[in-house]
Amino acid sequence: MNKADRGSGLFWFIFSVFISYESHKLGLGTLHQPGPGFLFFWIGIVTAILSLIVIAMSLRKRSPEDAREPAFGRRNVTKIVLVLISLFLYALFMEQVGFLIVTLLLFIFLLGVIEKKGWRFAVLLSLAVTALSYTVFEVALQSQLPKGLLEFLRF
Amino acid sequence: MIDILQNVGYGFQVAIQPLNLMYCFVGVLIGTLVGVLPGLGPAAAIALLLPTTFKVTPVSATIMLAGIYYGAMYGGSTTSILVNIPGEAASVVTCLDGYQMALKGRAGPALGIAAFGSFIAGTFAVIALTFVGPFLSNIALAFGPPEYFSLMIVGITVLTYLSSGSMIKALIMAGVGLILSGAGMDTISGKYRFTFNIQSLLDGVGVVPVAMGLFGISEVLLNLETEIKRDILAARVKNLFPTLKDWAVSIGSIIRGSILGFFLGILPGGGAVIASFASYAIEKKISKHPEEFGKGAIQGVAGPESANNAGAGSSFIPLLTLGIPANPVMAILLGALMIHGLQPGPLLMKSAPDLFWGTIVSMYIGNGMLLVLNLPLIPIWVKVLKIPYYLLYPLILLFCMIGAYSLENSVAHITMMLIFGILGFLMKKFGYEGAPMILALVLGQKLETSFRRSLIMSQGDFSIFVTRPISLGFLITAALLLIVPIITQRKKLSALKEG
Repeated sequence: MNKADRGSGLFWFIFSVFISYESHKLGLGTLHQPGPGFLFFWIGIVTAILSLIVIAMSLRKRSPEDAREPAFGRRNVTKIVLVLISLFLYALFMEQVGFLIVTLLLFIFLLGVIEKKGWRFAVLLSLAVTALSYTVFEVALQSQLPKGLLEFLRF
Repeated sequence: MIDILQNVGYGFQVAIQPLNLMYCFVGVLIGTLVGVLPGLGPAAAIALLLPTTFKVTPVSATIMLAGIYYGAMYGGSTTSILVNIPGEAASVVTCLDGYQMALKGRAGPALGIAAFGSFIAGTFAVIALTFVGPFLSNIALAFGPPEYFSLMIVGITVLTYLSSGSMIKALIMAGVGLILSGAGMDTISGKYRFTFNIQSLLDGVGVVPVAMGLFGISEVLLNLETEIKRDILAARVKNLFPTLKDWAVSIGSIIRGSILGFFLGILPGGGAVIASFASYAIEKKISKHPEEFGKGAIQGVAGPESANNAGAGSSFIPLLTLGIPANPVMAILLGALMIHGLQPGPLLMKSAPDLFWGTIVSMYIGNGMLLVLNLPLIPIWVKVLKIPYYLLYPLILLFCMIGAYSLENSVAHITMMLIFGILGFLMKKFGYEGAPMILALVLGQKLETSFRRSLIMSQGDFSIFVTRPISLGFLITAALLLIVPIITQRKKLSALKEG
């Protein structure tokens, strides 16, 4: 148990209290006729107590584990954040721009920018992956992926 | 008895239809592949392939998705033995002795005994499932809302009890899962809950995007941080068939593993992972040469590999007969069945006998296919392992994106999956497990409905949960599981691994 536990415990505590508050607003009903908030009000309270225990244990015990490596290795955090941003952008533009273009761009970004595998390699491979995934999911499995900008091609 | 034979016969008629045979084959093939690939487990694989089954019948879909699960159990051993990286969680212990055997040039017999052990155990589990299934179904017909409520509480408690980290954290996760299940429309009052005017929350929090996030995306993020290093054994794998001496030493382990795995699999909250750890512990304990374990003892491969397959097979029992998933994979399968318009539970055997018996019999066939598929294809799986991670993770991400989108052709599911991917990543960092959350999320609605129905039945009297004997029994079990760790030091899975 360490500092990280205090933070995460606090997070779940606030979350649970918030849920109990919201459930209370929904109406607890009576015991004969429990309302829509009844069960979640109590689950929220139990979860809040459990997260308090997590916090309490992190305060009481200062194990040597405390000195262990920090929760995040600095080096790759940028990489993870960049990958996540590219995925959110993918989701954001998928419908307007279309599956083929966003997938191609995503792969060029991941292979070329993040993994630095050389542009020729990245572009060629991205084209191959895009074509293959389109064939498998759209042509074979009929997934109805968005066409976006390429709608006019009517393929 | 004759009844059951008739049903099995009927199951065969369903399972050997060419289309179903093909789906069974595709399922076990994908399963083996998923088992081989580290960083993609059966839970994520089933979740992201679910949308591809929307166009086929529920029977074919279930046959394929089930195949992925037990197929992964076979594939997982290959990577454990050859690379010392478990392809998925149920093969973690196989690394201990499997890799040591490989280092000593006995990779062949290790892979061979794992495959034969898996086949024997898998088949044993399916045969037992054939007989136990109908029996349990009949018992479950007598269950009312209080029994269901208590049973689900036991399921969630067992899973938190067996979780590898802090039990308190696991309980918090179960609570969060239940809360998530409450989002969307309340089925009894028709009121919307926890939607906060967000359009995509109106239909509730879907199990599949959450599972893809927690088990797929977050796994990729973790691997990006640590960069997997792999040393693939260069030596050619030969002599796949274990010698008579190998058989003599391991047959006992296989039988014990099968029986142990079967019972741990039925247990709600149990399943293949726990079965493999328990089997290893037992084999080491009863062995005359415990010092050989960890240095390449064949029993250390045969036992756990049999146990995880038997556990994988028997964990279908609570799902198909009670409608209660025993582990996260079954939780996703339950979600899949519900999307296909089926309600798993004691009535499933009557309302959809083709699905029930067809799936069971397909598992006999699938186990046979896996044995044939696995041994000759090992060189190909080794090649698959050589795919560099910089290629593998963009593909896993892409499949997750397509899978999430295809659920309802909506970007909202992708967003939800990504959010849970980040959450899952942080949870692993801070020592919280995803499994109790998924199980609670799937069971949540049923749990709440049965809770409220019970109280309506008893006119607000809480004693209904303790005056009915079956329900009382379940609740006592749950209470014991919660109290025991406080009194004694809970034996963690990680401790089992070392001891």
